[in-house]
Amino acid sequence: MLVSFFLIALLCSIAGCSSGMQQPKTVLKVVPAGSLLQPFDEVEKAFEAQHPDVDVQVEGHGSIQAIRQVTDLHRPVDVVAVADASLIPDLMFRIDSTTGANFTDTYTPFATNAMVIAFTNKSKYANEITEENWYQVLSRPDVRVGISNPMLDAAGYRSMMVALLADRYYQNTTLFPILIGGHFAPSLVVQDAGGIATIKLPEVLRPSDEKLVIRDGSIFVLSHLEAGGIDYAFEYRSVAEGHDLRWVSLPPQIDLSSPGYADEYGKVRVILGFQRFSAIGQDRTGQPIVYAVTIPNNAPNRELAQEFADVVIQMAKIGGKGWPAPLN
Amino acid sequence: MLLFCAFTLVLLMSVTFSGCASKGKEVSLRVNDPAIKDWQLTLNGTREKILKIDDLRRFPVASGHCYAVSTTGIRFGPYLCAGVDIRELITDVGGMGPADQVWISAPDGYLWVFDAEQIEGKGFVTFNADLKEIPSPPLRIILMYEQDGKPVSYDDGGPARIAIVSDTAGVITEGSAWVKWVDKIEIKKK
Repeated sequence: MLVSFFLIALLCSIAGCSSGMQQPKTVLKVVPAGSLLQPFDEVEKAFEAQHPDVDVQVEGHGSIQAIRQVTDLHRPVDVVAVADASLIPDLMFRIDSTTGANFTDTYTPFATNAMVIAFTNKSKYANEITEENWYQVLSRPDVRVGISNPMLDAAGYRSMMVALLADRYYQNTTLFPILIGGHFAPSLVVQDAGGIATIKLPEVLRPSDEKLVIRDGSIFVLSHLEAGGIDYAFEYRSVAEGHDLRWVSLPPQIDLSSPGYADEYGKVRVILGFQRFSAIGQDRTGQPIVYAVTIPNNAPNRELAQEFADVVIQMAKIGGKGWPAPLN
Repeated sequence: MLLFCAFTLVLLMSVTFSGCASKGKEVSLRVNDPAIKDWQLTLNGTREKILKIDDLRRFPVASGHCYAVSTTGIRFGPYLCAGVDIRELITDVGGMGPADQVWISAPDGYLWVFDAEQIEGKGFVTFNADLKEIPSPPLRIILMYEQDGKPVSYDDGGPARIAIVSDTAGVITEGSAWVKWVDKIEIKKK
């Protein structure tokens, strides 16, 4: 009996040992922008189903921080996907001193998005807000508004751009101060030079009252929204949809979605409070939102990375809940 | 047969423990990396000082629970963190006024700016383990050189990184302020 027990234990041990000693899976490291996490979860599942020997590891960051994983932190990354395509040529079309080649030489734009005003059934005036009166509802003194930190998140400085563009579109120069700029001490001042409205953010971006709430990332803004701590949030349409939130669309002249209004978007500029990363400056000028994917030249698994990027591009064309809109 | 079983068990245990040993060796190598051994901190206030890791260890030890979250919700911790209260370092180079700022940066090009209120541990957003916002308990900013009783590894931002600590376990703070690989602290007069 004792011998049988040991034999069974031994067989179990060997079974465990042999499964532990199976050929390890190839790790495919994918670093997307935070607003792509939900769709990339779908891509990961689809890709791993096609490639049982591959472990896709998705690690979300802000777009700039996603690129820095390759350029400044020199981590082995197979795929980078960002919410602002212009960052790739700016930050990656330059020589990597460790390889003598550029960090990357190509990228593929694959989706776009639009800024919307997200809210819940608990939000004040949820039954009144429309695409026409959104700025009047958000201007009410008892309504609290949230944005993500422009220093950290593209959705943050894009929220400020939307408020600046709204000033022009509705021909009401009190909108930006009422919605955002007036809730700092001192207030953010809009400088208009050469037809370009510019705001310079302070180094420490902390609102001076409770009307405006700023959090490091969208997930914390939305968590606050869902908990009732704020009533409305400036957010990407795909993210609002992915979180099952209600939202109102904004006019295409201000929602940063349309290449046809690129010139108009370019008339607003946000200067960040300090140069958080030495690799990129502080100026952000309005432009249509374009998502892009790239494979670093030193990606450990280039062929698999290209396959993964192809799946992203194909799935983006189909779209779905939580996906940014396909490019036309 | 029993002898065979015992031999196999010993073999399995040796395989298991050799894995543990190699992991420990890897950490040790990282700590002795030249980038860590040659590390120095430039403190710039009304006067300038250069500190090595041994100099940091001569300051009173500030410690507590620390736990951070990235902008996309990735959690780091919880850890027990030990280092130097940032106020000790600021005082060492002349102190700061209520309108001054502290600029903390690293050789990877990352910079974060703190105001006087934050240096006192105030004005930070705090979360519980479920990432729900909670009222902030008293917090302190430290320049951390030990994490869970060991030198901070290079991958974790060592040899010295910013951490926001609390006497209360499980309090999460936003990770943007947790500058890794700190090599410069400047007091900017306003």
